[in-house]
Amino acid sequence: MKRSAMLVLLVVLGLAAGSCGGSDDVITVYSGRTSNLIGPLLEDFADSTGIDIEVRYGQSADLALLIDQEGDRSPADIFISQSPGAVGFLAGKGKLRPIGDEVLGLVPREFRNAAGLWIGISGRVRVIVYNRDLVDPSELPASVFELTEERFRDRVAVAPANGSFQDFVTAMRETHGDDTTLAWLEGLVANDARTYANNTSIVQAVGRGDVPMGLVNHYYNFRAKAEDPGVASENYYFPDRNIGSLMIVTAIGVLSTSDVPELADQLVEYMLGEEAQRFYSEKTFEYPLAAGVAPSSVLPALSSIGVATYDFDRLGGGLERTKELIDESGLEHS
Amino acid sequence: MKAGSSTPDSTPVRIARRQAHHPRHRLVVALLGLLFLFPMGYLAWGTLSLGGDFWATVASERTLRPLGNSLLIATATAIACMFLGTGLAWLVARTDLVARRLWRVVLPLPLVIPSFVGATALLSAFGRGGLVPFLPRIEGFWGAFIVLTALSYPYVYLPVLARLSTTIPTLEEASRLLGSHPVRTMTRVVLPNIRDTIFAGTLLVFLYGLSDFGGVALMRYDTITRAIYSSRLFDRATSLTLGLVLAVLALAVAAIERSATPRRRLGRGVGREQVRYRLRRFAAPAVALASGVVGVALVAPVGVFALWVVRGSTTVGVGYSGVGDGLGFLLRPILNSAVASVVAGLCAVAVTLPVAYSAARRRNWLSNAASASVTSVFALPGLVVALAVVFWAIQAPGPLAAVYQTFPLLVLAYVLHFGAQSMRASQAAISDVPPHYEDAARTLGVDARRRFLTIDLPLVMPGLITGGGLVLLSTLKELPATLLLAPIGFETLATRIWNAAEDGFFAEVGITSLVLILLSGILTWMFVLRRELRV
Repeated sequence: MKRSAMLVLLVVLGLAAGSCGGSDDVITVYSGRTSNLIGPLLEDFADSTGIDIEVRYGQSADLALLIDQEGDRSPADIFISQSPGAVGFLAGKGKLRPIGDEVLGLVPREFRNAAGLWIGISGRVRVIVYNRDLVDPSELPASVFELTEERFRDRVAVAPANGSFQDFVTAMRETHGDDTTLAWLEGLVANDARTYANNTSIVQAVGRGDVPMGLVNHYYNFRAKAEDPGVASENYYFPDRNIGSLMIVTAIGVLSTSDVPELADQLVEYMLGEEAQRFYSEKTFEYPLAAGVAPSSVLPALSSIGVATYDFDRLGGGLERTKELIDESGLEHS
Repeated sequence: MKAGSSTPDSTPVRIARRQAHHPRHRLVVALLGLLFLFPMGYLAWGTLSLGGDFWATVASERTLRPLGNSLLIATATAIACMFLGTGLAWLVARTDLVARRLWRVVLPLPLVIPSFVGATALLSAFGRGGLVPFLPRIEGFWGAFIVLTALSYPYVYLPVLARLSTTIPTLEEASRLLGSHPVRTMTRVVLPNIRDTIFAGTLLVFLYGLSDFGGVALMRYDTITRAIYSSRLFDRATSLTLGLVLAVLALAVAAIERSATPRRRLGRGVGREQVRYRLRRFAAPAVALASGVVGVALVAPVGVFALWVVRGSTTVGVGYSGVGDGLGFLLRPILNSAVASVVAGLCAVAVTLPVAYSAARRRNWLSNAASASVTSVFALPGLVVALAVVFWAIQAPGPLAAVYQTFPLLVLAYVLHFGAQSMRASQAAISDVPPHYEDAARTLGVDARRRFLTIDLPLVMPGLITGGGLVLLSTLKELPATLLLAPIGFETLATRIWNAAEDGFFAEVGITSLVLILLSGILTWMFVLRRELRV
């Protein structure tokens, strides 16, 4: 007993020693994108520049809370967020420093913060994922607003706690007003829309046929097909720039407390370079935003579906109000 | 017991026991009680500073409905686990159940499956398009009930098993010699004797039921943790206030449980052959029960994990890219998981032992308060505990600040979150030590420290080991604290599973989960079951 306790202690000390130290050239990244979606890029950047990178993975919202709580003592230099909401939260709290103009210029205006506090690195499009055995494509709605109609009663899945859904609702508020948005949310509740925990569980439920269709980001069904090529779930993009097919970006920002802002800027620039953009296009099936890289051939061209874009910069404190509306509609209880 | 040791030993023992603690022990208990109040302190501070209105939030319909659901699912799960855990422990410890050794090793394992993975696996296991299509896919309350029961009955099973293996068989033998039916012996003699242990485990299940987020959310059952999570970023006042509601609720339940449980000491012993019943015509139903539980709680998830691994052979992840890929990328996570869980288990037992001892031996306000404080933390969602530790650690002064996001702080977070498990197990074990042993030693002039080391410790060892084992298994699957507080780059099997599950890399989830279950089997055997038997 004693000997094994000593052994454990030694290993612990070893681990503790191993985790200390390091050079000055270290960028600490808090990443809401998981290692499967960003790890190879970070490694590649470290290899080609000789700059060490340390990453903490977690949910975007949790990491944003962590950074907020860490205050001036945050070890993080860079925050990568799955959606604009969490990075907007930090921007609103004054936790981000402006990114250099030449880097900002790499991405169209609508995919970045006007004050230059964060910038989109890749895009996901909101879609309906539907089960091809249960839904005839001709039944699918031309507008997301049709989902409150009787013919969709008890047939639609949503994930109201999910960041992308909330960002989409915020965009709807900006383009159609709070009253219309609240009426739509309440219409979903009245129409027995089913609430799920997250995008992945909706795609799975649709694939199994538990529910005919659901509102998610386009990218999850590509994962589902990679894991199970025979799965019956398909993506449907709303036509004519309908707000239902909004482009939502994953975003990156540099912390104002960073002690290596120049290195951090370098990493941001790398994320918008051709190599990284190709990675999003080819490996993660997202829409590249810069460097002239085309989307994967398995994706519909943005021009063909007329995806809605939205100036997420106006988001600001808007998510508090979005959360209030979702609460008011009672969607999360259904 | 300073005063006690200087007075003549003719002092009536009963009075001596009622005397106050050694002042140093009192201080230790008080400090530990305070330490476990830190998460609640963070919630209270946050609620106040953000202007959260505690009563308005509690009384709103948006809180009451999910809160009612939380209480319902926690209570239902606790009752189910009480029967299931006790029944299975009795079968393994006291009957000629077929393949007892196998059940002994396999039955604790479901505790290690993170609830979000367990729920996802069970949803994929049954129903249309599932592994077993002829059984229904169950969601909502019953889905959450099945997941939580399947994954948390070991909170009752493990302590009761340890307890049943060490009771003095005299009373049972007497009962049987007098011609009592085994069932009557069980209900009249055995159960009252081990009631504390059963209740301790049941309380843990109840608190876990309150705290769980992933399992209930995936089953689409709306609870208070959903409200805490979904408001955490854009309505923090509500999120923190709801966390405080849970903490206060847990404190109240712990206090009530404590005052409602009378002290009983019916004695335990070691090294004697236990009574073992022949199941005879109940042999088949008993095996069916154990198989049913293991089937749902372990075989079904394992089957689904295996299916994911095979089906996703074309998947391309960072560490794992399908069947035939080496598992080298899991070596560090395996080592990290093993070290973290074993250290957390040892530390949790050591840290909570003084409180457990005082709670078992002295019923005063201090021990009651400290015990309730330790217990209450377990009802909080892991994220809340993690953020509380961040909150306090980040403003620690001077050299203490360097501890932030280091291994010791991570272990502290584990101990804070799971200390209730080791404390409850230790407490039940200590209160079972027959008082006359200590009285005898006291009469012989043995001092308190030696009495503890030579009498109590050997007798309570199985209880301590079990408590440590529960913490070990809980730590193996812990996520929020590990993600936020571990030294940067410190990956565990659980964080790898989360990482892969987050974006639907199910083949990687499957292979990593299988390794996690295997590792937990090895660790529980090495550190818990084997030692329990030896002691």
